[in-house]
Amino acid sequence: MMVIECIVNDKKYVLEVDPQERLLDVLRNHLGLLGTKEGCGEGECGACTVILDGKTVNSCLVLAGQAHNSVITTIEGVGNRQSPHPVQKAFVEVGAVQCGFCTPGMVLSAKNLLDKNPHPSDEEIGVALSGNLCRCTGYDKILRAVKLAAEEGK
Amino acid sequence: MKTEVVGSRALREDSWGKVFGQTKFPADVNLPNQIYGVVVRSPHPHARILNINSEEAMKLEGVAVVLTANDVPHNSHGVLFRDQPVIADYVRMVGDPVAVVGGETMEIAREAAERIRVDYEILPAIFDPEEAMKPEVPPLHPELQSTNVLYHLPIRRGSMEEGWAKADVVVEQVYKTQHVDHAFLQPEAVLAYLDERGHMVVQTATQYAHYDRGEIAHALGFRYSQVQVKTLAVGGAFGGREDISLQIIAALLALKTQRPVKMENTREESFYSHSKRHPMTMYYKTGAAKDGKLVAMQAKIIGDAGAYSSWSINVLRKSAVHATGPYEIPNVEIDSFAVFTNNPYTGAMRGFGAAQTVLAYESQMDLLAKKLGISPLEIRLRNCFQVGSITATGQELTSSVPLDQCLAKIAPYFRREVETP
Amino acid sequence: MKYYQPQSVNEAIEIAYSSQGIFLAGGTDLVLQMQKRKIQPKALIDLGRIPELHEIKETKEYIEIGSMATFSEMGKSKLIAEKASSLWLACQTMGSPQIRNQATIGGNLGNCSPAADGLPPLLALGTEAVLISGEGEKQMPLADLLGQTPLLSPGTLIVGFKIPKIHLLSGFAKLGRREALAIARLSVAVALELDGSKVGNVRVALGAVGRRAFLSDSLAHVLSQREFNESWLELGISQIQGVVRAALGDRASAPYKRVAVAGVFREAVASLRRQGGLDK
Ligand SMILES: Cc1cc2nc3c(=O)[nH]c(=O)nc-3n(C[C@H](O)[C@H](O)[C@H](O)COP(=O)(O)OP(=O)(O)OC[C@H]3O[C@@H](n4cnc5c(N)ncnc54)[C@H](O)[C@@H]3O)c2cc1C
Ligand code: FES
Ligand code: FES
Repeated sequence: MMVIECIVNDKKYVLEVDPQERLLDVLRNHLGLLGTKEGCGEGECGACTVILDGKTVNSCLVLAGQAHNSVITTIEGVGNRQSPHPVQKAFVEVGAVQCGFCTPGMVLSAKNLLDKNPHPSDEEIGVALSGNLCRCTGYDKILRAVKLAAEEGK
Repeated sequence: MKTEVVGSRALREDSWGKVFGQTKFPADVNLPNQIYGVVVRSPHPHARILNINSEEAMKLEGVAVVLTANDVPHNSHGVLFRDQPVIADYVRMVGDPVAVVGGETMEIAREAAERIRVDYEILPAIFDPEEAMKPEVPPLHPELQSTNVLYHLPIRRGSMEEGWAKADVVVEQVYKTQHVDHAFLQPEAVLAYLDERGHMVVQTATQYAHYDRGEIAHALGFRYSQVQVKTLAVGGAFGGREDISLQIIAALLALKTQRPVKMENTREESFYSHSKRHPMTMYYKTGAAKDGKLVAMQAKIIGDAGAYSSWSINVLRKSAVHATGPYEIPNVEIDSFAVFTNNPYTGAMRGFGAAQTVLAYESQMDLLAKKLGISPLEIRLRNCFQVGSITATGQELTSSVPLDQCLAKIAPYFRREVETP
Repeated sequence: MKYYQPQSVNEAIEIAYSSQGIFLAGGTDLVLQMQKRKIQPKALIDLGRIPELHEIKETKEYIEIGSMATFSEMGKSKLIAEKASSLWLACQTMGSPQIRNQATIGGNLGNCSPAADGLPPLLALGTEAVLISGEGEKQMPLADLLGQTPLLSPGTLIVGFKIPKIHLLSGFAKLGRREALAIARLSVAVALELDGSKVGNVRVALGAVGRRAFLSDSLAHVLSQREFNESWLELGISQIQGVVRAALGDRASAPYKRVAVAGVFREAVASLRRQGGLDK
């Protein structure tokens, strides 16, 4: 076992973990943050996306130790019913959510894009979401939602 | 006709929970003291199980139980016929469950599953449906059919002799489609437990909670009223969650151990365990007269049902009914077959048998247009269903067949495409 | 399993020696191999906390890239875009944004898959690899290193890469099943010196046509010291098809890749043309 420290959604944690555990396991099993999803467990689908030190990563490929001393944002840290993030609002308004299993990862990839680049081009939006698979929507409305969120942010 | 509903924008209420990550999918529910179930699956497409040795697995600390076919009270399930074992002692496809482990953690259960030794008597397997349908080939389900042909639907309209006599051009082609997986984004997961009344509660993502309930009750020997299936958020399905997957196995583990049971498929296990879209081989012969009117069509459609029937009958029925496409043809002979093989079993998937035939009948239209020297659009306009048309199955279409309007709408784009290749 | 986070290269080497552990960079290959129980390391030595391994910098003779530089860092580096453009191009299409944020160039070499996207550009650019082990540091051409089996002796750490600044123009193209998250079916990197319309030395490297990425001597030989024009391109295409034929023999993918490589080579050359005013 080993001890790691990290800040998740603005809260500091000191955790005892097995070094084999993935960040995904830490978030879901130790912290009960179940909004981070596992769709493939091998980096292909992006359902497990979180923001680690300002960058999106697949938490299924990050070991707990790699997250030591880092700052992490999961979907639970992005917005809530009282004050949804513009991306979350736009996803609902545009109809970019169907089954919703890809949604947390999509929202985090989109949020991180807008944090860095508030006025992205269509191509930049496409690239930013290219690591997140959705089997339901056909992507069109998701791209439109991110665009809408960017416009609202202007 | 104006209504308040059609054409109005509605927000999906459930999307709020989803954008905040609050929505509970079956992988997101747990109970104290739960054990974890892992399935051992056959690597062979056709085999008899001679022996299962779970000694090494049971030696591992934290292994609660190992179950095999003998532990299932009524070892069968299936949406149309109960021809699929819950835990197999006779394997008909790669991925058939042959044993199940319950362990204190997922890691222990996985480790134990690797330690289970299964002796198989490997049997000859058959993968080509056209080969499998021959009468001399031993049937995979003798209790259902004496050959591997599970289903045959013939459709006849008019006279083929007359039809071919009128045909100025004829196109004859074979079309083949492949297996397709639904790849819904959320792999199968279940939480099963006995409640304070001794009733079995199964929380899962399914397209058929009421069917699942009957299947679980049947396999466990419970009354319907003693089984409760709760559908949590469904992370995509597309037909792939119509057949039951882990639900019975989890319930059985819960019954045997008297503890809550959690099961979660990896993506790989998910691919092995649920149905696929039917691959079809479609022999098409279509004739048209000089004026561009279709006069005859003959189609033979062979769908690979794989190892179990699932919805194959309904799927191949739909293929047959849609075999002409949305085109009126006076003389038609259609034969559609569902055939057992040792391939992964096939079932419902978006379009339910209607998707495959599109490839065949629309390609035929394009080829006929070419032979006739008219545009692909023109041949469709001359043959498409309208109000009053009679389909190959003899149904008169009495209302709302706006296909011509649809074609008119795409015509401008279509012409542009043709002009600027 | 033990987990170490050394703060310096020397410390990492010492731990590797004493623990018999293996190095962990981004983990995009390693974590998967552990999950699938293909490897069960005694210890992991996480290189993420060694600042010097992350650097991308320009020295008098070289562009130097630390082994822990990620594909996104390289893909955002102006220096690499300008002076090692084939590598920069490879970084844009590698994996997905999430994978690029984690995956490192050192890990790309360490894992050394036939389809590793970082290696053909580095080969074409004439890169030297810098290694360190208990026996000390050494520098050698990447092409020579890729000829060794095993690639690295136990406990050897990839420090980084040195790309000689001989102002090579370079291009890269990759064929995948789709745009994002596609492992290369085939990749080609081309680097050349250009004097007016005359091509000097040429280097062409291929990925996903053999056990490891490799530099083709015959392509270098045939394409160097010639006029850069359409017939140069045609010559290159017929030659590279021969190289693929020879490398793949009767493997199932051979007939497809033999044909496809023509297009990939053409694209790689086109990507190089766009720089340095070659496109007239
Ligand atoms: C979904 C997905 C998509 C991918 N797409 C691509 C793609 O398009 N192109 C591509 O090329 N690759 C791709 N990969 C593979 C992988 O991301 C790359 O090979 C990557 O460069 C590995 O780097 P890493 O830092 O993650 O290495 P790690 O997984 O940390 O390490 C890989 C190996 O290298 C060794 N190693 C790492 N660093 C050092 C060092 N400094 N010294 C000595 N040994 C070292 C490790 O011990 C290990 O054996 C993909 C992977 C995934 C999961
Ligand atoms: S679960 Fe991590 S990328 Fe799919
Ligand atoms: S909404 Fe279902 S996977 Fe995207």
